[in-house]
Amino acid sequence: MTRRRARCGWGLAMVAVGVLAAACTRAPATQKSTDLRTEVARLQRTSALLQRQIELASEKEFYLVIDPAASAVSLMLRGAELQRYPVLGLQIGHSRVSWVGRHDPRPWQGTIWSNGELNPPRQIDRLVIQAAPPGKDVAEPEPAEIPPTAEELYPVPMRYHIRFAGGLSLEIRPREADANAGRWARLWASWSAKWRDVAAAILTRDRDVVRLRMAMNPKDAESLYRSLPPAVRLIVLAGGADANADSK
Amino acid sequence: MEPLPSLPSSNGTPEPAAGPEPDSPSTSAPTNPSAIGPRGFGLLPLDRRTRSLVTALVTLLLAIAWAGTGYRYEPYVEALPKLSGDVPANDRSLKPLASRLTRRARDLNARLKATAPRGMYIVIDQTQNRLYLKRNDETLLQAVCSAGSGMVLKESGGKKREWVFDSPRGRFEVLSMLRNPVWRKPDWAFVEESQPIPKNPTERLDYGSLGEYALYFGNGYMIHGTLYERLLGRAVSHGCIRVGRDDLREVWAHANVGTPIFIY
Repeated sequence: MTRRRARCGWGLAMVAVGVLAAACTRAPATQKSTDLRTEVARLQRTSALLQRQIELASEKEFYLVIDPAASAVSLMLRGAELQRYPVLGLQIGHSRVSWVGRHDPRPWQGTIWSNGELNPPRQIDRLVIQAAPPGKDVAEPEPAEIPPTAEELYPVPMRYHIRFAGGLSLEIRPREADANAGRWARLWASWSAKWRDVAAAILTRDRDVVRLRMAMNPKDAESLYRSLPPAVRLIVLAGGADANADSK
Repeated sequence: MEPLPSLPSSNGTPEPAAGPEPDSPSTSAPTNPSAIGPRGFGLLPLDRRTRSLVTALVTLLLAIAWAGTGYRYEPYVEALPKLSGDVPANDRSLKPLASRLTRRARDLNARLKATAPRGMYIVIDQTQNRLYLKRNDETLLQAVCSAGSGMVLKESGGKKREWVFDSPRGRFEVLSMLRNPVWRKPDWAFVEESQPIPKNPTERLDYGSLGEYALYFGNGYMIHGTLYERLLGRAVSHGCIRVGRDDLREVWAHANVGTPIFIY
């Protein structure tokens, strides 16, 4: 009985070794095929992204290009890079209500988003002058006031969005990227942001399908807020350092 | 109503008060009204302790719901590319497809690079009043300038015209380059000063206010010098781009007719 058991055990062991050997000989071929398919998929994606960037460069609108591989966001027009800002961090946000997530299956990467507008918008106060008719006795003109600089004219909020048609928004929080900001300032920013997020997630009108949160240097974030042209477009590149780096 | 105190009997011992019988139904209800409490939703009477518990529970549930409402953020991670379209299943067909796609990506890359300006170009940030002289990816000069003030000027008499002094946005090109330019003042320059618009064209000419050089890029707009360098960095112009003398010399030295100008 013992011998029989021993023979069975050896038999099973040999079968197991045989199966393992067969699997190992097959694995490299499978791996190679998977690599090739991944490469084809990557090339398809690269071509699609390049095609869209060419489309954006051929039109008259300003557009933003977020390149996660290069950690940068560029403001561009007709293929020319006008301004480039380093991105210190990038996060993706999806809305949820009472812990139940609302994921939108539509692709957002590699898609062209349009009509981006600042929220809150830059307040532009225009000075309106009604010129006195010529020939009338005009009082001695008062010395003209020196107009404020852009920094004085456009204060940048603690948090702002660039909202695009279709439900994607960029959220930029300048002060959170500044480690020197006071604890209370950061706490207050988080608290007020949380309440806004709750309202935005519940109210359909304000709900962003996808939020990209970008952490930037405060000076860069302020510069972007002040300089952003109206109705800007956006494309988020999907990585692939070789294609994206060559496209600059 | 409390029973009346018993009167002493003839033998001196008080008789029991003629009040209600003990353990009768009417005696089971407590006499203190505050111990009852309000009825909860008209269904069950709630005492104070139960009310507090329910309130605490509801508050806790709301707080949990509040904490789970908003946006959930995750770090960006590059998604794996997915095959799209009809892709052959075997490797023999995949390899030529990969080669074709590689060539296509290379061609598209070259087309995209061709859209970017080659050589020198000028970038102007009109909100922050900055001018950049660039060559390919390199910034040769960063200058402080003055762009349009955004002011609105309304004419009182005459044609009641209106002018908005914004700098334009978009892509332009240097159309002509002028040394010691002479400014031919438009109508608004006289309206602004409440002066009559001259009929003699020579009365419109202003010498020296545009500085040493001017780069004209169309529709009456120029990059030129200024007499008011202390106002550089502020939006004070009537739409043109004013640059300081030294920076203007640098721009003049590097730009040519056809140099692209991007204003945003």
